[in-house]
Amino acid sequence: MAILEVNHIEKQFGHTKVLKDVSFSLDQGHALAIIGSSGSGKTTLLRCLNFLETPDKGEIIVKGERIYKAGETKMSDSELLQKRLHFGMVFQAFHLFPQYTALTNVTLAHKLSALKKPETKANRKEVFDKINARGLELLDQMGLADRAYHYPHQLSGGQQQRVAIARALALQPDILCFDEPTSALDPELTGEVLKVIRGLAEKKTTMIIVTHEMAFARDVADEIVFMDGGIIVEQGPARQVIENPQQERTKAFLSRYSEG
Amino acid sequence: MLWSVTVQLLGGLWTTFRIFIFTLLFSLPIGLVLGIASRSKFKLLRSILHIFIWIIRGTPLMLQLIIIFYGPGLWLGHNIWSGNEAGRITATVVAFTINYSCYFSVIFRGGIESVPVGQREAGEVLGLTKWEIFWNITLLQMIKRIVPPMSNEIITLVKDTSLARIIAAYELTFSGYSFMKSAGITWPLFYTGVFYLIFVGVLTILFNLIEKKLDYFK
Repeated sequence: MAILEVNHIEKQFGHTKVLKDVSFSLDQGHALAIIGSSGSGKTTLLRCLNFLETPDKGEIIVKGERIYKAGETKMSDSELLQKRLHFGMVFQAFHLFPQYTALTNVTLAHKLSALKKPETKANRKEVFDKINARGLELLDQMGLADRAYHYPHQLSGGQQQRVAIARALALQPDILCFDEPTSALDPELTGEVLKVIRGLAEKKTTMIIVTHEMAFARDVADEIVFMDGGIIVEQGPARQVIENPQQERTKAFLSRYSEG
Repeated sequence: MLWSVTVQLLGGLWTTFRIFIFTLLFSLPIGLVLGIASRSKFKLLRSILHIFIWIIRGTPLMLQLIIIFYGPGLWLGHNIWSGNEAGRITATVVAFTINYSCYFSVIFRGGIESVPVGQREAGEVLGLTKWEIFWNITLLQMIKRIVPPMSNEIITLVKDTSLARIIAAYELTFSGYSFMKSAGITWPLFYTGVFYLIFVGVLTILFNLIEKKLDYFK
């Protein structure tokens, strides 16, 4: 069953239509890669899912519940916060909080939400210890057990991005989104981040990955969506889209990559 | 002689210190609120604030002080500041607070805007409220960035307190100057300078400490 359905999303900035009638669905436990050249609308699509942008048209359905419909959904701030938590987001530029250690970056949101519950007040230490233990576990999964008390500026780009992935996982989102997770990294550091994402795919984490790494998309994603000019030009099983594309625009795009 | 000058200058220093500390106490939070408000979505509010800040920054503090102190008496027919020393200090603090809030608001606004948008977005996708994001993420990064301009402005405030002399508040410069008038001696003026230097020296050490303290992150 589809965990996510996106129907007829449109988004316009000023006079530029960035997304024109975008629809797709994603099954539980599947990884979807979105490929396409810069300016094709990939990132905007992810930002719409995370409500960093508000779609002008269309609807978003998660687990059968319509969480957004343009024109109808007037969200209060607290509803918006709840709905956001369906999605996790890993940014291209990490955006770790510089004043906190890796561990606190991972646990901050959890701790803040725990503080809002009255039952936390009585045994705050216990609750926080539990959250910290869970944070350490996540960092360990990312291969960063020994970096938990480092500050972001003491970490390499690849390590920072892995902390960011742990931070996104900490809230156990239904769908984890990656916005070009390796584009800001030196080539020799992309491997360690891709390996982590590959591991998540093997554990059947539901993911949407915007990426320029074609080989990675082919090997890790179940499905691939190719976007160009704000529309989905082609979508299908990953291997098929990369190795045997049907549309001319997809072929042209992929041949530019294989030449590169 | 040295002793009596010292005692008198210490008295002036106490007044200077009170003006300084109360102005800071009021203008820092007001400046922060104005700084946040001047980024409001409401254009009218923004415009009003911009004009207000323009007027306050565009006219001399001394002129504002004179208007604040003498204005109410002339318009209302009775002085709202009591005629004693406390009243003069209160009027000074009010005028200084208005003035410094505006300067601080611009520094705060710059500080808020200097924190990358990505920081706020990272907080948003983690489900944090606007207030949680400001309090837990933006604020400290902002403080780190505004320490240098803030220290400039706060050191200027120390010396601006000497303007209170215009409404006869008996602050430090007034104290030093009075010896020149009454006894015709000039060395207390230099001695007064030493008082200011020590005051500013202590502040400088304090700001360096804060900068060091915030050095642990980038």
